[in-house]
Amino acid sequence: MSYRTFEEDKTLNEEIKIIEKKEIPKGTVMIFGFPDVGLVGVIAASHLISELNLEETAYMDSRLLPPIIVLHEGLPHSPIRIFGNNQIILAVSETALREDLIYPIMHALIDWGRSKDVKMMISMSGIPVQERQDLDELKVFAAASSPEMLKTAQDKGLEILKEGYMVGPQAVMLQYCATLGVPALTLLAQCFFNYPDPEAAAKALEQLANLTGVKVDVSKLLEKGEEIRLKARDMMKRTQQELTKMRKTQEYDIPLYIS
Amino acid sequence: MSASNRRRRSIFDLIDEYLENLEAWAEGVRETLMERPSWNCRTCSMEPLRDIMVTGDEVIVTVDLPYAEQNTIQVKPVGKDAIEISAKMRRKISFDDFGITHYRGEFQRFHCQTRIPVPVYMDRMEIRFKRGILEIRLPRKHEYEIPVE
Repeated sequence: MSYRTFEEDKTLNEEIKIIEKKEIPKGTVMIFGFPDVGLVGVIAASHLISELNLEETAYMDSRLLPPIIVLHEGLPHSPIRIFGNNQIILAVSETALREDLIYPIMHALIDWGRSKDVKMMISMSGIPVQERQDLDELKVFAAASSPEMLKTAQDKGLEILKEGYMVGPQAVMLQYCATLGVPALTLLAQCFFNYPDPEAAAKALEQLANLTGVKVDVSKLLEKGEEIRLKARDMMKRTQQELTKMRKTQEYDIPLYIS
Repeated sequence: MSASNRRRRSIFDLIDEYLENLEAWAEGVRETLMERPSWNCRTCSMEPLRDIMVTGDEVIVTVDLPYAEQNTIQVKPVGKDAIEISAKMRRKISFDDFGITHYRGEFQRFHCQTRIPVPVYMDRMEIRFKRGILEIRLPRKHEYEIPVE
């Protein structure tokens, strides 16, 4: 494996552009839904877009991205797009992210979000749990970028992910926001590791509503669960390959704490 | 990279680079060989997502089977080290259902074959189906044990 220098990383960040299609309101909450275990974030983001009729307001353009476009109604779209209304900005990816692109992509999005004076950043994702099919009630855990945000999550009744590893876009998001002093939270719903999990996405959305007041009806998400699982198979397969490369199973590890 | 830079590199750097390239090439070949559509119009079948876990006592295979009709699920051993899984769907799924109009085809079953990485007792297979997930448990066959002295 080769490692990039700081200067090379800086160049990578500069190679990512966010093209705005509409005026972006300031002072909103920025939400991330990226491919990860159970595709929790992507399924939740997709449901938010359809339930709130969110409009595409910006998209990511970069030569670093694989040469992929997503066709919708015959027209090309970037696989990484930003939707929103006057309450939220939602960044979502329709393709699995290559491990080596996670840092520059997340940094570029967070820097852009800061330029829009977002008041908080929230990443929706999952935490894999063994014997998931035997769980009737799924828990949602939270991790935060600061003690104040941790308290906010606790005050809202969220269980805190106290110790452990986090791997993937939400890990980079949390660390970068902590460095910049941006209030940020990651919501992690218990889910399947390798299978799309609409139930977990519904749980993450319930907690998003609890935290931000952005409410959506999740009943359709649950009713269409099987259809979503079938549609999400190929994306899950590609995501599995990337999760293996980024050693996602490290989240099961028990860390050695150095205090 | 400039010629002067190239001259300064040690033999170890060159070996590292060679091994890295070799690894990347092997990974590329592996991914290319595994790349295929997850559906087959000829057999009207879809390949389900699946996972294998090997524990000390057993091999656990799980398969995601949305829309599967429980009483049509079949798991058959194929030789000593593979199983074949099939199931009918409760409804026919077409490309139209996914908004895809450039392919034609309907699917009404899942089908896949999975290799079991360690010896198991196929005849002691246990199967259950819950929340659309098929779980197959195969006790491991420990042919001999080395005594600890």
